[in-house]
Amino acid sequence: MKHGDNDNGSGPSHDGGVIVLENITKKFGTRTVLDNISLAVEKGKTTVIIGPSGCGKTVLVKHLIVLLRPNSGEVYFKNQRIDNLSENALNRVRTQYGFLFQGGALFDSLNVTENIVFPIRQHHRITDWKAVEELVKSKLAMVGLDGYQNHYPSNLSGGQRKRVALARAIALDPEVVLYDEPTTGLDPIRSDVINELVLKLQRELNVTSVVVTHDMTSAYKVADRIIMLHNGKIVADGDADHIRDHPHPIVQQFIHGQVGEDQLAVLRMSGKVSQAQFLPRDFQ
Amino acid sequence: MIGIVGARTLGGVNNMGRFARFVWQSAIASFRTSITPSSYSLIWTQMNIIGVRSVPVVMITGAFVGMTLAVQMYDQLASMGLEERLGNLINIAAVKELGPVLAAVMLAGRVGGALTAELGTMNVTEQIDAIRSMGTNPIKYLVAPRILACLLLTPILIIYADLAAIVGGYFVSVVQFGINNRAYWQYSASGVELWDVSIGVAKGLFFGVAIATIGCYKGFTCKEGAQGVGQACTEAFVASFISILALNFALAVVFKAIYDTFWPLKSLV
Repeated sequence: MKHGDNDNGSGPSHDGGVIVLENITKKFGTRTVLDNISLAVEKGKTTVIIGPSGCGKTVLVKHLIVLLRPNSGEVYFKNQRIDNLSENALNRVRTQYGFLFQGGALFDSLNVTENIVFPIRQHHRITDWKAVEELVKSKLAMVGLDGYQNHYPSNLSGGQRKRVALARAIALDPEVVLYDEPTTGLDPIRSDVINELVLKLQRELNVTSVVVTHDMTSAYKVADRIIMLHNGKIVADGDADHIRDHPHPIVQQFIHGQVGEDQLAVLRMSGKVSQAQFLPRDFQ
Repeated sequence: MIGIVGARTLGGVNNMGRFARFVWQSAIASFRTSITPSSYSLIWTQMNIIGVRSVPVVMITGAFVGMTLAVQMYDQLASMGLEERLGNLINIAAVKELGPVLAAVMLAGRVGGALTAELGTMNVTEQIDAIRSMGTNPIKYLVAPRILACLLLTPILIIYADLAAIVGGYFVSVVQFGINNRAYWQYSASGVELWDVSIGVAKGLFFGVAIATIGCYKGFTCKEGAQGVGQACTEAFVASFISILALNFALAVVFKAIYDTFWPLKSLV
C-alpha cells in the first residue's frame, strides 16, 4: 500500500520512525526551501539537523510539528498522517511535542511560573495548585533554575531564558522535543549547559529529540544521528563519525567552517579594504 | 504591465480571502469564549487595558468636540436670535455622529495601535508559534478576548465621550456665551431623543469589533523586524479609520431606514 492511499486514518508503519516526512516540498513564493525531503526520526534518539544559515533547517523542524504545512508531501506522527488535520485536531497531537524556539519565545507579560503553567492550564483543569507549584519547581530544578519562579523574562539572561523555555517545553512531559538553534547566541559554557540538558532529558525522560543547529561542537556532543541540509536537500545522513569522514566537499567545508573558493572569489572581486572610503577621524 | 496588474489583483484577492477567514475564525472563537466562564479572566484583563485606561483620552476628545461645536455654531444662531437652541444642535451632533466617530478614531489610535504592536511583536518573536506548538489556538487565546473586550467597552466609552461633549458644550454656551441655562437644557431635552443616543451607542458595538479585528489581523500578519511592526501599526490605524467612516455611513443608512419604518410620520413633525 502506498502512503498516499491512506489520507485520514493511521498510515503504514515506518520502521521505528516516530515522526516521518515523505517527499516534503515547501516553497515561499517562487523559492523552493525544502525540495522533496524524506526522513524518519527514530524514537528515543537525538537527531541533529545541520546546515548553513538560510538552508531551511527551521522550516524543516516546523514541518515536524506542522507549524508549517508542506506544498506537497506527507507528515506522519506515530503512523498517523498529520499534515492534513484541522488545527483543532492538530492541537491534540501537538500536546505530545515540546518545542524550544530560537529566542525562547517566552511570554513577556507572564512570569516564569506562569510561562511554565501555561500549557498545563490550556489542557488540564487545575484544582490542586500546590501540586502545580511542585511540578513547576521540579521542571525548573531540572534546568537548574529553581528559585526563579517569580522572575519575568526581561530580568533573565539569554541562557536562562532558553532554560526556562525548555522547562516550559517539557511541562506536559512530551514524547518529542524539538530544539531550534538551542545554543545560538550563548557563550561556550552556557552552550554546553544546554547540550547537557538535551542529553539529560533524553537519559531521564527517554524523549525523542530533534536539534537544529549550526554549532558542530553541540552537534557532535548530543547527536545519535546527524543530517545535513544544503539547498533544500539532504546531502549527508549518518552518525558523527560518518559525517566527519563524509566525502562531500560541502559537508567537509561546513563542518570545518571554511569559506568556499567561489565565496572567496566574490570577496576578492569586491575590492581591497585599503581602497575603501573611510570617514575622516574628526568626523562628528 | 498586464502581468503587474494581474499579480496585484491576485494579491489583493488573496489578502481579502485571508482576512475573511481570520474574521470567521475570530467570530467562532469569540462566541465560544463568551460562553466559557474559565476564559472570562482573559476578557477582564483586556477590558482593564483597553477600556479603563482609555477613559481619560476619550473624555478629553468628547469635551473638545462639544466646546468646538459651541464656538462654531454660536455666531450663526445668535445672528438669527436662536442662540438658545444651541444645546439642541450641539447635543444631537455629539451623541449621534461626532461623539461616537471621534471616540472610535481615538480608540483606533490608542487601542488598535497597541493591539497590533503587541501581537506583531509576539508574532516576530515566535510567541504566537509557541502558543500553537503547545496545542492552543492563538485566535481563541489572543484575539477573542480582545474582540469581546472592545465589543463590550466601546459603547460604554462612547457614553463617556457623549457626556464629556455635553458638558463641554454647556460650559462654552452657558458659562462663556451667557445663554440662559434653563432654555439651553429645555431645547436640548426636546431635540435629543433616546433613539439618537441609542444609535450612537449601538455604533460603538460595530466600531469596537472593527478596531479589534483589524488590529489583531495586522499583528498576526505583520512582517519581521521593527519596520514590519511599525508598518503594521500604521496600516492598522489607516484601515480602522476608513472602516469606522464606512461603517458610520452604512449604519446611518440602516438606522434611518429602521426609524422611517417604525416612526414614518415623526420626521414630518
